[in-house]
Amino acid sequence: MQDLSTAFFIAYKSITRGNKSMLALMIFILSLSFLNMMFVSGVLAGIWQGELGAMRSFVTADINVNPQQKPQVKQFIQNQNQLRAQIETISGVEATVRHYQLAGSLSYDKDKNGQYRSVSGVILGIDPTQESKVLAADKLLLAGARLTDTDTDQIVLSSAVAGGYGSIERGGSDLGGARAGDKVLVTYSNGIQRTYTVKGIYNDVLGINYTYITTKEAESVLSVSDSASQILVKVDMSRDSIADYEGRIQTIAPNLVVRDYTSLLGSIASFEKALELISIIVSVISVLVAAVTIFVLIYVNAINKRRQIGILKAIGIKQKIIVNAYIFQSLFYTLCGLGIGAIAVFGILSPLLTAHPIPLIAGALNLMLSFTSLGICISVLSFIAAGYLAGRVPARLVAREDILTAIWG
Amino acid sequence: MIKAENIKKTYPGKVPTPALKGVSFDIADGEFIAIMGRSGSGKSTLLHQLSLIDTPTEGKVFLNKRDVTHLTDVQKTEFRLEHLGYVFQEYALIVEFNALENVYLPAMALGKDPRVYTKRATELLTLVGLGERLDHYPHELSGGEQQRVAIARALINEPEIVFADEPTANLDTASAKTVLELFAKLNKDLKQTIVMVTHEEDDKKYVDRVIWLEDGLIDKIEK
Ligand SMILES: Nc1ncnc2c1ncn2[C@@H]1O[C@H](COP(=O)(O)OP(=O)(O)O)[C@@H](O)[C@H]1O
Ligand SMILES: [Mg+2]
Repeated sequence: MQDLSTAFFIAYKSITRGNKSMLALMIFILSLSFLNMMFVSGVLAGIWQGELGAMRSFVTADINVNPQQKPQVKQFIQNQNQLRAQIETISGVEATVRHYQLAGSLSYDKDKNGQYRSVSGVILGIDPTQESKVLAADKLLLAGARLTDTDTDQIVLSSAVAGGYGSIERGGSDLGGARAGDKVLVTYSNGIQRTYTVKGIYNDVLGINYTYITTKEAESVLSVSDSASQILVKVDMSRDSIADYEGRIQTIAPNLVVRDYTSLLGSIASFEKALELISIIVSVISVLVAAVTIFVLIYVNAINKRRQIGILKAIGIKQKIIVNAYIFQSLFYTLCGLGIGAIAVFGILSPLLTAHPIPLIAGALNLMLSFTSLGICISVLSFIAAGYLAGRVPARLVAREDILTAIWG
Repeated sequence: MIKAENIKKTYPGKVPTPALKGVSFDIADGEFIAIMGRSGSGKSTLLHQLSLIDTPTEGKVFLNKRDVTHLTDVQKTEFRLEHLGYVFQEYALIVEFNALENVYLPAMALGKDPRVYTKRATELLTLVGLGERLDHYPHELSGGEQQRVAIARALINEPEIVFADEPTANLDTASAKTVLELFAKLNKDLKQTIVMVTHEEDDKKYVDRVIWLEDGLIDKIEK
C-alpha cells in the first residue's frame, strides 16, 4: 500500500513536472488510436445493424409464418384471413400481410424483333395496401407506380431484373432494359403464360430481386384462394421480446413454422462474419499502435532517466516502486486517451451521425455507429491492458539494471 | 558499527580489474571517517561495498554486527532505506521533486506518517541552511545547495551511517567548506557516523580518522 502511494507520488510528479508537449502529443496519439478503434468497429457494426434493419423493414418483417412441414409438407397456409385475424389479436402485433410465392421466367422483347431475353426468378403475389403496413418497400420505387389491390395485368420489377439501371451487373441475365409501360411475358413453373405491363420498377439495393404481382393474379395462376405461401408479421418490439411473440403465434398455429427475422438472413450471415473479422483486425491494430506508442515513450523516458533510477534505487527505493510509477504514468496516458477518444466517438461523432445521417444506400441504409456494451468493455479493457503492459515492460527493462551501471556506466 | 573483513573486489571483464585486494578495518559508532587515496586507488569501490550498492567478490561486511554481505538485492535495498544514507558526488536529486519532496521521499517509501516526515524534512532543510527554499526545484538551486538537500535526504530516515562519495568534488571552495562543516556538525551534535570519500588532504581536519588506500590495499590509517 505504501509502495503504491509512493509509486503514485513519483508518477504524479513526473506527469505534472514533465514535458507538457510530449504529454499532450502522447495523449493525442492515444485518443486517436482509441477513436479509430471505436469508430471503425462502430461503423462496421452499424453497417451490419443497418443492413439487418433494412432487410427487416424491406424484406423479412419481424416474424414469418410458413406452411406446415410436419407431418406432411404443405405448399400453402390455408384460411389465411382467419389466421391473420387471430394473429392480429395478439397485443403488440401491429400488422400482418400474406405473400404467395411463385417461380417463373420473365421474357422481354426489347426491340420487337422476336429476340426475347429471359430471366427466371421468384415472383411474389402481394396485397399492396396491406403490404405497405408491414414492409416499407414502396420507398424503393425508382420509376412508375406501385401495384394496387385489383391489378391483374400489371407487374413490378426490380431494377436488377429490368436491367440497364447500372446497378448490380447480372452478367447479361436481365431483361436488357425493360421500363414502365413495357410488356413482359411471364411463364410460370406450372406452365401458365401471361403477359403483363410493367407498372413500376424498384431499386434493387438490397440484392433482393423479386418480381411482384397481386395476390388476386397469383390466386388465378395457382388456382387457390384464401391461402398464403407465407405470412409476415410486424410487431412492437418495445413491448415484448421477439421470442414471446413467436411463442404466442406458434400457440395459435401449432402446425406452422414460425421464424424471426434473425433466422431469415442466411444469405447475409457470412457478411456479418466478414465485418466482425475486419472489426477485430482494426481493433487489434489500434491496440498495438497504442501499446507501441506508450512503450516507446516510456522506454525513451526511462532510458533518459537511467541515472535517476539508479539513484532512487541507491537511496533505497524498491525497483517495484519505480516500475509501478511508470505503470501509473502509462495508465494515466491510456485513460486520458481513452476518455478523450470516448468523448469524440460517443459525445461528438455518434450524435453527429444521428443528427445528419450519411446515406450509404439512399432510402434504405444510413451510416451509423453501433456498439454493444460487451464490445465496448472488450475494447476498453484491451486498451487498458495494453497501457499496463506497455508501461511495465520497458520500465522493468531499465529499472532492472544494477545501480552502478545505471549511475556511472 | 562497520566491520570490513578482508574485502576483495575484482571487476569482471576481458581483463578483470582487481580494485580491492583485501581490506579490513573497523569503524566505531559516531566516528567521522575519510577514505583517501589517489584516483583509481579503490575508494569508491570500497564505499560501494560498505553501503551495499555492490557485493564484494570475497570477504565480509558487517553493519551493526550483522553480516550483510549476502543479503538479496531486495533486502539490501530495504536495508539501505532503513539504515543507511548516501550522498553522491553530484546531480543526485530527482528533478521533478522540489527540495522538500526530495528530502522526504525515502521517509514516504518507508511508510512514515506524512505529517511527521514533512515536519522532519523541513527541520533537516533548515538544519542545512535551506529552510527558506523548501519548494525550490533542483534546477533552481546551486550545486552546493543541491548537495545540502542531498545530505538532508540522506538523514531523513535517521540512518545509522551516512556514506558520501566525494561530496564536494564539484563544488567551489566556499560551498565545499559549508558542506564539510555541515558533516562535522552532524557528527559532533548528532553523533552521526559518517564515511566520506575525498581526495582533498585538507579535509583531514574535519574527520576522526583517515583510511588511506593505495592500489586496492590499505596504506595506512591515520588518527
Ligand atoms: N564498474 C567498473 N568496472 C570495471 N572497472 C572498474 C569499475 N569501477 C571502477 N573500476 C576500476 O577499479 C579501480 C578502482 O576504481 P574506483 O574505486 O572508482 O577508484 P577511486 O574512486 O579511488 O578513483 C580503477 O582501476 C577503476 O578503473
Ligand atoms: Mg571515485
